[in-house]
Amino acid sequence: MRLEFFGRRVLILGGTCDLAITLAEILIQEGLHPILTWRSEAGKGRLSAMLESFSGRYETVHLDLARRPLLHGLFSELKDDLDYVVDFAHGDMECLIGSANPDEIHRYFSENVSARAELLRMAARIMVRKRRGRMVFVSSSAALKPNPGQGFYAAAKLASEAIYRNLGLELAGRGVTTVTLRPGYIHAGRGKKYLEAGEAEALRAIPLGRALTCREVAQAALFLLSDGAWAFNATEVSMDGGLTAGK
Amino acid sequence: MDTLSEITKSLGEILDIEMEEITPEAYVVRDLGAESIDLLELSVALNARFKVEVNEDEVFLRTFRVFLNKATEARKNPADYLQAKFPFLGPGRIGEILSDIDGGPVLKVKDLTAYVSWRLGDN
Repeated sequence: MRLEFFGRRVLILGGTCDLAITLAEILIQEGLHPILTWRSEAGKGRLSAMLESFSGRYETVHLDLARRPLLHGLFSELKDDLDYVVDFAHGDMECLIGSANPDEIHRYFSENVSARAELLRMAARIMVRKRRGRMVFVSSSAALKPNPGQGFYAAAKLASEAIYRNLGLELAGRGVTTVTLRPGYIHAGRGKKYLEAGEAEALRAIPLGRALTCREVAQAALFLLSDGAWAFNATEVSMDGGLTAGK
Repeated sequence: MDTLSEITKSLGEILDIEMEEITPEAYVVRDLGAESIDLLELSVALNARFKVEVNEDEVFLRTFRVFLNKATEARKNPADYLQAKFPFLGPGRIGEILSDIDGGPVLKVKDLTAYVSWRLGDN
């Protein structure tokens, strides 16, 4: 199936993770122009190294959700021109709720929920002006089925899902739609570490019997960005091999 | 750039209505039928057309009643209190709104013009 895209400029939040880089490669091959965010110089260097063969066909931009002034800088660099957002950004906070540092709780939700909402407000306004836009939030099956210690992570993911859902609800009439993808265990990032620690046990819970690959998730995100997926709006799509379907 | 005609143009495009209906005295919600999503689009359009930061609480008078209640609670003169919060409106317009407030949303096209002119430093 040939995918079609109304626009070209794709802002990828959390742009230095494996999933984001894999998606960026696929987007470039489709003729789109990814703009990947990085938070540290190390992340920026990683992007340059991994996307070396695509030089000139993508951009990178500094963004740290803990630093609000950078949000405004981001949109200046984008020159208020944006067609798509794909959001992989999410901080880690693994601890039991009863054990958490109170200051860390506030910091975590400020970065992972409030700052995201502010950024999406700005992106939405650009898209409303253009009367066209598409946003894909990459959540997690842990939002629905967290392990002990993932309470804050799940809460922030669910809050973010709700923001995306309402954007789609409010703006679809103005040509801006949203969808959330909830992947299960992936051989990348946090999932990779978890799988390495206890793969056999984790896989027993997945009817499919295996974890997802980065490429599978990136291709699903690509489809959800495409014009053909437009009607997936203000909703969540699970992609977890059946993990959350049963007990 | 004529502020009123630019705002009229934006409103006409967003609300899909004839320009003749959009007079300075027209109520944006009561007469022209604007909904919250239209006001969002209008805010974006004002920002793009005039290159001014738009505070939606101010330009759409969303906090007018909140500040009126605060003035009453603090036993302050409502007109003076509101004038300080909405400097672009002017005393005459504040008085008009106070006498009209029970009739529904008070925002008029001329309030939008006053806000943009104020932000542009025309006044």
